[in-house]
Amino acid sequence: MPEPKIESEIMRISWGPQHPMSGQTRILLDTDGEKVHKIIADIGYTHRGIEKVLENRTLIGGIIPIERMNMVDSSNIGIGYVTACDKTYGLEVPERAQWIRSLICEMGRINSHLYAFGLQAEATAYFPAVFLWTTIDREVLLDLFEELTGARWSYNHFLPGGVFKDFPEGFEAKILEAVQYLRRRFKDYWNAMIENPMFEMRCDNVAILEPKDAIRLGATGPVLRGSGIPIDMRKEEPYAAYNSLDWEVITEDACDIMARTKVRFHEIGQSLNMMEQIAKEIPEGETRARFSPFSRAPEGEHITRVENSRGEMSIHMWTDGTTNPYRVKIMPPSLRNMYVFERLAELSEIVVADIPVVVNSIDPWYLDSDR
Amino acid sequence: MSNLSDFISSFEENYGKLVESVEIFEETRASIIAKRGSYIEIAEILRDEYGFVIPIAGGAIDYPEENRMEMNYYLDSPDSDFIVIYRVHLARDDLVLPTMTTVWEAMSFHERETKEMFGIDFEGHENMVALLLPPDWKGGYPLRKDFKGEGVE
Amino acid sequence: MEQEEQASRILENVPGASLAYKLVDFIDGWSRKYSIWPIHLVTGCCSPEFMQVSGVRFDMERLGVLPFASVRQCDCIMVVGIVSRKMADRVKYLYEQMGEPKYVVAVGACPTGKGPFYDSYSIVAIDEYVPVDVYIPGCPPRPEAIIHGMMELQDKIVKERRLGKIE
Repeated sequence: MPEPKIESEIMRISWGPQHPMSGQTRILLDTDGEKVHKIIADIGYTHRGIEKVLENRTLIGGIIPIERMNMVDSSNIGIGYVTACDKTYGLEVPERAQWIRSLICEMGRINSHLYAFGLQAEATAYFPAVFLWTTIDREVLLDLFEELTGARWSYNHFLPGGVFKDFPEGFEAKILEAVQYLRRRFKDYWNAMIENPMFEMRCDNVAILEPKDAIRLGATGPVLRGSGIPIDMRKEEPYAAYNSLDWEVITEDACDIMARTKVRFHEIGQSLNMMEQIAKEIPEGETRARFSPFSRAPEGEHITRVENSRGEMSIHMWTDGTTNPYRVKIMPPSLRNMYVFERLAELSEIVVADIPVVVNSIDPWYLDSDR
Repeated sequence: MSNLSDFISSFEENYGKLVESVEIFEETRASIIAKRGSYIEIAEILRDEYGFVIPIAGGAIDYPEENRMEMNYYLDSPDSDFIVIYRVHLARDDLVLPTMTTVWEAMSFHERETKEMFGIDFEGHENMVALLLPPDWKGGYPLRKDFKGEGVE
Repeated sequence: MEQEEQASRILENVPGASLAYKLVDFIDGWSRKYSIWPIHLVTGCCSPEFMQVSGVRFDMERLGVLPFASVRQCDCIMVVGIVSRKMADRVKYLYEQMGEPKYVVAVGACPTGKGPFYDSYSIVAIDEYVPVDVYIPGCPPRPEAIIHGMMELQDKIVKERRLGKIE
């Protein structure tokens, strides 16, 4: 029989907002059989116009919308905005308040990395057990948050000049108990995810991002540190209490998906060490500097850079002498990492079945990139 | 260049005439205001000679009373402990600039967003499609100060 | 309507028909209320709270609520969080593809009335696009509030009339 004439054509698949693993975005894949030629990220499904909304709020009232930019890790965004407010008003934050700010930021970082593990385990090995483990382990942290700040998710606990309230009675003992519990669970997660042969098969040497490409394309956060480059805003421009705590920047050299997962694992370990140090060694003192909420901000512009769990977040604030800011420019980490994700199809060989694993290793949060 | 004052003195000495001003903005921030004529040339010098290879972001701001807009690019380098903000002033009725994607490829998303929020045209950009707003947006530039609502000119 | 008049005549004249009707109505309502399948669509920032509710501590699956991927086999859309214009078109498209009977639950302050972003140019309230059955307020709502909202939806399913005004 004569052979049929086989031609290859490019087909465009739309992996849309209604899908169990896609998140709140649409990604278009140009494929030819199994190989992906081009990735196009169609973001903007959660655009709220936060930059315009902040122009109609006072400087202190703006803390509420901006913490809802990233619900899982809201403290690491709130601290960027509040540090910019501190610089604008020229306030000196007392030391105990800086240590409490660091504690809330590190707890948020652990929360966010556990969430990333749950999604990654479900995408890589269809392992809903690990996802359900993370829901119960995050409840331990959410209970601590509720006792300290009153809310489970977006705390709004930072104020220009300090924090809202001090620790309740006996809180340091509860922090140490939570740290011990999470350290025991850390070993379970390591065995389930890193020592698992299915993970090794799907994650080793897949989606390699060389160091020079990571720098040139503007990668940030664990994506950049998984390619061996030690840039972390907590060491570059220290804010809160990071100068007084004992920790180090984690990098891995393998540049693939497994390296980025290992970076997140070891960052959780560093955060647990920092929580223990804070609970044992926090200095006494006041928790708030004197500040009047409706005072007018002096004219000027200030830039703040903080380390979110997904990378570097910067805020550039212009003020003009009234109670509202003139313009707030937010530079989120996920927007930079989405550009890296688009170029990964050209830099390394990716097949269609790898795409959910690759997306979850980049760990974007679309509410962050769309603002 | 790892030190801010070394950078400022070296830049002013060699290229001070090709830009409008170079100044220290905060403790670890340098601000360079460029002239329209040598805009891309100075960007290439910052990337090649001074090592500012990491593109952080790009954004604009609107000053309607002074009848101008300002376009900012934020740049970082792995060896330095400061960042550079590279700015240019534009008149409000002449909002055209050459694209920075020839120098730093990752500025592509930021230029797309600035075009739909402020209306600044970037000549030579390969993929100028709406990034955040819906594709049937009926007009108006949201982040300008005189924006009154969708579809209202 | 014709069917309703015919049905009323049968129920009044045929002996035992109204008892049989009440039995079928009860079984139908009972089986549908314990198996509400929402679709996998999270639109905004309340999504981590939704994950926690379907997690281990506040288990939503004991009420029969199982998130499912295919839209033709689902009963309800839970609109969780903010809805921008771009996403609202997709929600309407999905609503039209679901089979009857179908329900919509608006979780959070944002789909109800825009929440903390009340003056934003890009958010809509979801009841301009699809009809909503239950509103759950909060920013984000507590897990107990979400479970209470689903139980209100269950009550609503039981009390619906299948065939007009027959009682």
